[in-house]
Amino acid sequence: MARQTNRLGSGGRIDRSRPLRFRFNGRDYGGYEGDTLASALLANGVRLVNRSFKLHRPRGIIGCGAEEPNAILQLGSGAGTLPNQRATQVSLYDGLEARSTRGWPSLRFDASSVNDLFGRVFSAGFYYKTFMFPQRWWDYYEAFIRRSAGLGVAPDRPDPDRYEHRNAHCDVLVVGAGPAGLMAALAAARSGARVILADQQREPGGSLVGSDLPIGGRPADEWIAAVVDELREFDDVRVLTHSIVFGYHDHNFVTIAQECGGDMRERLWRVRARQVVLAQGAFERPLAFCNNDRPGVMLASAVSAYIKRYAVCPGRRAVVFTNNDSAYQCALDLAHAGATVGALVDSRGSVSSELTDRVEAVGIPVLHGHIVTDVRGRLSVGGVRVARWNGDTDARADNSIDIRCDLLAVSGGWNPAVHLHSQAGGAIAWDERRHCFVPAESRQANRSAGSGNGRWSLADCLRDGRDAGVAAARSCGFDAAEPELPVVEERDETPLQPLWRVPAARDPDSCPKQFLDFQNDTCVADVRLAVREGYRNVEHVKRYTALGFGTDQGKLGNITGMAVLAETLGAPVASVGTTTFRPPFTPVSFGVCAGEGVGELYDPVRKTAIHEWHVSAGAAFENVGQWHRPWYFPRAGEDLNSAVARECLATRRSIGILDASTLGKIDVQGRDAVAFLERIYPHKVGRMAVGRCAYGLMLGEDGMVMDDGVMTRLGDRRYYLTTTTGGAARVLAWLESWLQTEWPDLEVYLTSLTDQLSTISVAGPNSRRLLEKLGCSIDLSREQFPFMSMRQADLAGLPVQLFRVSFSGELAFEINVDSAHALALWQTLMDAGREFEITPYGTETMHVLRAEKGFVIVGQDTDGSVTPIDLGLERMLAKDKDFLGKRSLARPDCVREGRKQLVGLLSADGRTVLREGAQLIEEPGAAHPVPMIGHVTSSYMSDCLGHPIALALVAGGRSRHGETIHASLGAGSIATVTIVPPVFYDPQNERQHD
Amino acid sequence: MTDLSQRRHGLETLVGAHGDREQLSATVTLEIRAAVRQLNLRGDPGKAGLRTAAEEALGQALPVQPNATTAGPHTICWLGPDEWLVLSATPDAANVATALEQALSKHGAAVNDVSGGQVLLHLAGSGVRDLLAKGCTLDFHPRAFAPGACAQSGLAKANVLIRLDEDGEAFDVVVRRSFADYLLRWLRHAA
Amino acid sequence: MLLIDCPWCGERAETEFSYGGEAGITRPKDPAALSDAEWADYLFMRNNPKGAHRELWNHSQGCRRWFGIERDTLTYRIAGTFRLHGKDEG
Repeated sequence: MARQTNRLGSGGRIDRSRPLRFRFNGRDYGGYEGDTLASALLANGVRLVNRSFKLHRPRGIIGCGAEEPNAILQLGSGAGTLPNQRATQVSLYDGLEARSTRGWPSLRFDASSVNDLFGRVFSAGFYYKTFMFPQRWWDYYEAFIRRSAGLGVAPDRPDPDRYEHRNAHCDVLVVGAGPAGLMAALAAARSGARVILADQQREPGGSLVGSDLPIGGRPADEWIAAVVDELREFDDVRVLTHSIVFGYHDHNFVTIAQECGGDMRERLWRVRARQVVLAQGAFERPLAFCNNDRPGVMLASAVSAYIKRYAVCPGRRAVVFTNNDSAYQCALDLAHAGATVGALVDSRGSVSSELTDRVEAVGIPVLHGHIVTDVRGRLSVGGVRVARWNGDTDARADNSIDIRCDLLAVSGGWNPAVHLHSQAGGAIAWDERRHCFVPAESRQANRSAGSGNGRWSLADCLRDGRDAGVAAARSCGFDAAEPELPVVEERDETPLQPLWRVPAARDPDSCPKQFLDFQNDTCVADVRLAVREGYRNVEHVKRYTALGFGTDQGKLGNITGMAVLAETLGAPVASVGTTTFRPPFTPVSFGVCAGEGVGELYDPVRKTAIHEWHVSAGAAFENVGQWHRPWYFPRAGEDLNSAVARECLATRRSIGILDASTLGKIDVQGRDAVAFLERIYPHKVGRMAVGRCAYGLMLGEDGMVMDDGVMTRLGDRRYYLTTTTGGAARVLAWLESWLQTEWPDLEVYLTSLTDQLSTISVAGPNSRRLLEKLGCSIDLSREQFPFMSMRQADLAGLPVQLFRVSFSGELAFEINVDSAHALALWQTLMDAGREFEITPYGTETMHVLRAEKGFVIVGQDTDGSVTPIDLGLERMLAKDKDFLGKRSLARPDCVREGRKQLVGLLSADGRTVLREGAQLIEEPGAAHPVPMIGHVTSSYMSDCLGHPIALALVAGGRSRHGETIHASLGAGSIATVTIVPPVFYDPQNERQHD
Repeated sequence: MTDLSQRRHGLETLVGAHGDREQLSATVTLEIRAAVRQLNLRGDPGKAGLRTAAEEALGQALPVQPNATTAGPHTICWLGPDEWLVLSATPDAANVATALEQALSKHGAAVNDVSGGQVLLHLAGSGVRDLLAKGCTLDFHPRAFAPGACAQSGLAKANVLIRLDEDGEAFDVVVRRSFADYLLRWLRHAA
Repeated sequence: MLLIDCPWCGERAETEFSYGGEAGITRPKDPAALSDAEWADYLFMRNNPKGAHRELWNHSQGCRRWFGIERDTLTYRIAGTFRLHGKDEG
């Protein structure tokens, strides 16, 4: 195992007593608890971590957080493999395995790096210019692009890890636990507000973690610990670490992905906050000089973070290049860590002497008025070229100085992380003084604080955070006092010098590459080329050059790219503007989005009270809406067809029994029940006698059939309705909407009884005998209990409602029973029915039986464009009253000739079962395009009739009975069919009336 | 053939091997309260006489404040401005429906016994709030959800009525029968 | 995800609600008296403004009441919620 050559002997926030082993590209390395994968790689001196996306340039770690564009790795293998993981945000664990996703045959020698030699070809708009012609080759191009560009491999098996969701509410959500966030949380917590403080790091403190800067007279680490301890004392404060706030949605709904320990991999926090304080800090930006992507070029702040947090010094001989004050601390940190700092190169001509003195005091030469123009070395930084500079961006650099080094720490200034503010709809504005975009007006209840608000000094951040916390708590109605600010050292600040594109020895379009977007290999020259080719708008340039399109979404180089665009256009940055920020802030896993909602919890499975009987009887199930319904009950050796044939014949000959409990059931009562239902149903509701049933259609206001069912009059002012299984909830809500919005004067109450009542349908010529055998309290004879009526009765000692309705065309009884007794009653029926060979059947047999009778299923034989007239049910439409949808039936389109109408179809050969959905045509040989005159809606083999049957919608079909048309069977095969009336079995309805 | 005095809830398969009382986690216990009668009542509380008649029949007032319950011989939960759920564990609970229906018939109200169609889950223990928060967007903080309050919402992907008892310690969750198996699986998984 | 102030139940998450389209569409008293064009206008034509929009929502997972919301379709800001007519007003 490699030695951790870059690990410092002491310091850092790692736990040296807990060593960890990990593997990268097949080699074993060591690290410590508290490391990230990136810090552990750097500790082991691993420079080269990946190849770039397009040019396959060697790349190393550049940042230490969400901005990292290069160290995007594949973790693990098999079902649990994770693609596209930023090494800077992956906590190291024992046994971790990671590998680069590009670089073939090896990372050091990548065959595709020839792309780099032909870099001119791979310029802006490369994808658009190269893969255009001929169009038929696109499939090959696509495969090529995907293979060479791929960012990682998705697992091909179910994720073995656990995830969960957690809803939370708070008064004040503070995003970011740096100095500003800690002060904001403290101020809000002390006021009594409910506070959530979320931070992406392993521990709170932000940029101060591991710092020895004095705050309030003690080291920063102690101050952080004291604040966090106080926060944790409050019952109503929650401190979330390892938690990335990735989405700021409407009405202060904020989503946070938290990395957990143990068997729970990630948790999604869904937070509704009354106020949000955004204190997530700022991203340091790079500078665009030649070969600024070589492994060993890093952000200055990242170098400091690796030294202080992880006790890793990423280089031995360093150069620091900056245009602002902040990188001076990096030079001091490097020197303190024992590295030689060859020079601090500052583009500014003069800098406060206090700052310069401190750096020079530890022996670091400071070169004011100088720039780094180029980097030597290919797989790793070998040295830098430095030139004197007078501030003229169009100058040619003289490259008079060459400094040997293995690390270049760069700071091009800071970009406040305005992402969440922008996601929340807030405006962002270019700050001419601080040369960065800052949050402007908020659209939601949020405020920004600290460096995320463009405050650079520690003192300003602490004050800004406190003020934001106080203001947020007060907005929630809490009487917040202002906590005292800890005393910190104040220093003179020398303003940043705006510098984006660094002058090179040659002109910017032919000099070595100056990278802006490292993940997509977008360079200064690409942006300039895009402008020459006519692009002006930032959104267009972004898409043409792919600037900011990587998984880092341009956190590193986007603003620099926009500044280069502005410079090329000769316009101020403010006028170029920025692109839109959208969730997620950083990529989140599918696992955490799904949470517990996978496998059997993906969607509720609704079960009837009789479900367990079906399971034990070996039923095959199908999903009907959320219900699991028995599809058929196969016996040994039976498939769907043979089981259904047996179930159908048994029902027609003796008794079949169906669990119809999934029907929607609605109790309707009240003074105006009749008036209400008259407006809903097309038929005359008030004319029904108590105890009578009627088939009822429900039409939408557009006149189309929306649902159907049986309605029963239970009393003068009480009805009982059934709906389709899938329509139950929708119909109830629809009925309520009419009562509440249009007819509030009607006094009618609707109650769903779908779950309260279970429905058992007993169908077949022997069904009456079965009920009589069980002991029924009423006379079941045809005379006393006729078809389409209902009786209250005691059956087998249970109170039930009996309905003489039939969806099979047989003598049938539907039995409504309290669901608490449904299973017992079912078992009783099965026992008593043995002598009649009672046969349980499922939805498939139900469909065949009803199709033989020509009964439609709403949603199968109708599709929302079918009127009752199309179904041949105009006799149900009352002429002398209004009802929903009636007026629409007189619209020109509903009365025109040639509407599709319900018919039956018989195959001419008496054998072919048509395909449901098959298109119907007049003549198979007709010229293309062949006119479609209808389609098959239901099709089954009818073993009872001995031939297949089908229902179809055919243009003008009712006047075409007896005619021959054709149905597609797929694959060019055509069946000849005859149009017939849609009732195939017992057209005189003798059996169901029996 | 079936003895009605042995009123079975038909929920035996839900309970499985766990028994009527189940330890979901170290901090949450679950009890299926099948013996509690559940009556759905709908009517216009603004109508003269309805509230009085209901109060006489039930021995306690209907809650008219949204998301409130009243305690007394029964627990009555507000479901909507014209809808309530009466939870009754009294010895004569079976007769309450009839009595209520008779008392309210002349006031145009609707009474339905829904005991067979809904399952009452009683969740107790210090971890209940956290458990519910995993699947419900309601705020269960004591400041937001007071003892005796009730609310209808979603728990995981099922519609539920959630009620906090008068002591502020245990929650009743009422779910439709067909969703009970799913919800129990979710509770066992999430706990 | 919107936070909607149900006129009865108070502030609840959007997931408890369902959307019902533009508010204030009244069913004609005598549909038969309407021309095809007038009926089509009632049936199909809806406003789609950029800005303030009065719309119907149903607290479907809660009290099952229909009520109105005035919502800005650009910012999603909700200016207020209101009960409908009749016995629900208050």
